[in-house]
Amino acid sequence: MKRTLALAAAVFATAAAAGTATAPAAHTGTSLVGAGSTFVAPLVAQWTPAVASAYGYELQYSPIGSGGGINAVTGRTVDFGASDAPLSPDQFTACKGCAQIPWALSATSVIYNLNGVKNLLHMDGPTLAKIFAGQISSWDDAAIKKLNPGVSLPSQKIAVVHRSDNSGTTFNFTDYLSSASPAWKSATGTGVAVNWPAGTGAKGSSGVAAAVGQTPGGIGYVDVAYAKANHLKFLAMKNRSGKFTTPGLRGILAAATSDQKPDGTNALSIVNPPKKYPLAYPISTYTYVIVPLQSSKAADLKKFLFWAVTKGQAFGPRLLFQPIPKSVLVVAEKTIKQIHS
Amino acid sequence: MSSTDLTGDATRRPFTGRRVRFGDVSLQAVAGAAAAAATLLVFLIAYKVVRGAQPAIVRYGIHFVTRVAWDPVKNVYGAGSFLFGTAVTSLVALAIAAPLAIGIALFLTELAPRRLRAPVTALVETLAAIPSVVIGLWGILVLGPILRDHVEPALHGALGFIPLFGAPSTTGSSIFTAVVVLTIMILPIVASISRELFLGVPRDLKEGALALGTTRWEMVRGVVFPYARGGIAAALILGLGRAVGEAIAVTQVIGGGVGIHWNLFATGDTLASKIAASYQGAQSNIQLSSLVYLGLILLVFSLVMNASAQVIVRRTARRHGAPRGAAG
Repeated sequence: MKRTLALAAAVFATAAAAGTATAPAAHTGTSLVGAGSTFVAPLVAQWTPAVASAYGYELQYSPIGSGGGINAVTGRTVDFGASDAPLSPDQFTACKGCAQIPWALSATSVIYNLNGVKNLLHMDGPTLAKIFAGQISSWDDAAIKKLNPGVSLPSQKIAVVHRSDNSGTTFNFTDYLSSASPAWKSATGTGVAVNWPAGTGAKGSSGVAAAVGQTPGGIGYVDVAYAKANHLKFLAMKNRSGKFTTPGLRGILAAATSDQKPDGTNALSIVNPPKKYPLAYPISTYTYVIVPLQSSKAADLKKFLFWAVTKGQAFGPRLLFQPIPKSVLVVAEKTIKQIHS
Repeated sequence: MSSTDLTGDATRRPFTGRRVRFGDVSLQAVAGAAAAAATLLVFLIAYKVVRGAQPAIVRYGIHFVTRVAWDPVKNVYGAGSFLFGTAVTSLVALAIAAPLAIGIALFLTELAPRRLRAPVTALVETLAAIPSVVIGLWGILVLGPILRDHVEPALHGALGFIPLFGAPSTTGSSIFTAVVVLTIMILPIVASISRELFLGVPRDLKEGALALGTTRWEMVRGVVFPYARGGIAAALILGLGRAVGEAIAVTQVIGGGVGIHWNLFATGDTLASKIAASYQGAQSNIQLSSLVYLGLILLVFSLVMNASAQVIVRRTARRHGAPRGAAG
C-alpha cells in the first residue's frame, strides 16, 4: 500500500519536476530533491540560486502540495518533503524515522469579493466560523454590521469557497476556526480536509482565488503571499486582545512569539494566541520540512537545512515569510544535527 | 488451406516441414508477451486495488457502498453520495449528448451538403482531442459563470417546480456545470462512432427505401436506425464509461460536498473526482484505504460497463455481419 503511494507520489513529483524544469542543467554539485507544500514554494524558489552559489547544490523542489510531499518523503523518493500541517500520528509511523523541522513562518488570509467595500473589512472568529458553517448567509447580517460600524454592507449573498484538495492552508484555517468557535470544533473540526458544512470546493490557492474573484459576495482563504501578489482584498481579523490585525510581518511575528517551545515532534501551534499578544494575527502558521533522520546525503542535507533556517530566512520578508524566532531556531538546529548517514 | 494461408497458421506449427523462420517466431513471442503483459496488468491492478481497499472493506463492510458520509476528521466514510453524483452526472450528460450526437451523425452522413461534411467531421473530432484539464479550466472560467448568471436562473424561473432545477449555484461550480462539461466530452465520441455506423448502412437498402417512396425521415427511421441500433447502444455505453471515469475536469467544476439532493445546481462529487481531489496527502491510513475502496467501486462499475458494451457489439455483429461499432 505505502509502496504504491510512494510510487504514485514519485510519478507526480517527476511529472511536476519535468513540467517546471527551470533548474539549470549540467551541475557538477550534489542535487537535493524535495517536494511538497505550495505555500513555501516561493521561498524555496528564492533559495535555489542562493544555495547553488553558496555550496554548489542543485536544489530541485516540486510544489506538489503538502500531502504529496509527505507521501514522497515516506517513500524516500525525495531527500526532503515540505508540509504546512504537522504530520499526523499515522503519517509519522508510516514515515519510519522521519523528523519534522519548522523552517518557515507565515499566515493565511481570508479573501473576499465585495464591490464597493473597502479592503480590510473587520471580522472575528466566531462570525467567520458561522459564515463558513453556512449559518450567516448575507453580507449585511447584523453580526458583520456590528463589527464594521459606518461601513455600508450590501445585501449580497455570501458564497463560501474552500479548498477541495488536502491542504496545509485548510489545516491552518480550520485550526483557527476550531480555536475561535466551540461550535465549529465539535461539528466540523480541524484537518487538511474536513467535511465542509457549506460552500463550494476549488482546487489549490489559485482555484480558490479564481472562484472568489468571479463570484460577487465570495469569501475564501489563501496563503497571504498569494493574496498580496494578486492584490486581493482580505479581512482584518480580531484577535483575542480585541484588536483587528492584518496578516503582515508584524502580526505574524507577534503570533509566533506565543509558542516558542516546539513539542516532542517539533510541532508548534500559534493560531489564535492569548490576549497578551495584542499585535498577533490569529491565523498564522509554521510550515515544516520533513526529513528522514537517516539519509545517504546526510552531510549535504544538513548543510542545506542549516543554511535554510539561518541565512535562508533573510529571503522571507519580501514574500511575507517572517524569519523564525531564535528559540525555534535552536530546536530546529538540534534536530538537524541528528541527521546521519 | 495450407498453401495460400497467410493468416499465420504456419507459425503456429513451425516444424511441419517448413523452415523455422526467425522473424515469425519472434513476432509471435513479442506479440504474445505484449498480450500477456496487458492481461497481467489488469489482474495486478485489480489485486492492488482490492488489497489497498482491504482495511476499509474490513472496517466498513459492504455498508460503505451506500453510506452518505465523508468526514476525514471523524474518520467516517462512505461512497453513497459519490455513487449518486456519478450516476446523476453521467446519466444526465448521456441523456443530453445522445440525441445531439445522433443528430450530428445523421447530419454528417445524410443531410449535410457534401463539401461541408469533411470539415465539420474534422471539427467534431477535434473536440474529442481537447485535453480534459483544458475543458475543466474553460468550465471554471467561462462556462460556470455563464450557466450561473443566465442558464440556471432561467431554468429555475421556468421549471423551478421540478426539484432538479432549484436555486442557482453561487460560484458557478455545480453538478450541472459538470454535466455540461461531460456532455461536451462524450458528444464527439458518440457522434463519430454513430457516423461510422450510419456510413456502414448499405446504400442499396437506403436507396431501396427511397425508391419505395419514403421520405428521408422515414428512410432514416426505417432503415438507418434499425441497422445501426446495436452499435449506437455500444457507442452510448462507451460515452457513459468516459463520463463515469472522468476525474480532472469534473473535479474542477463540480464544487465538492457530501450529500444527496435533487437540485442539479448544488455542488457535489463523483467517485472519480473525490479520488482525484483527496488522494494526495490523505491524513490517515483508513482514509487512504477508503479512497481506494471508492476506486474499487469505480473499477467494478467500469468493468460491468465495458462487458455490456462488448456483449451488445457482439450481438449486433451476429445480426449484421461485420462489426463496425465500438472499434471506430
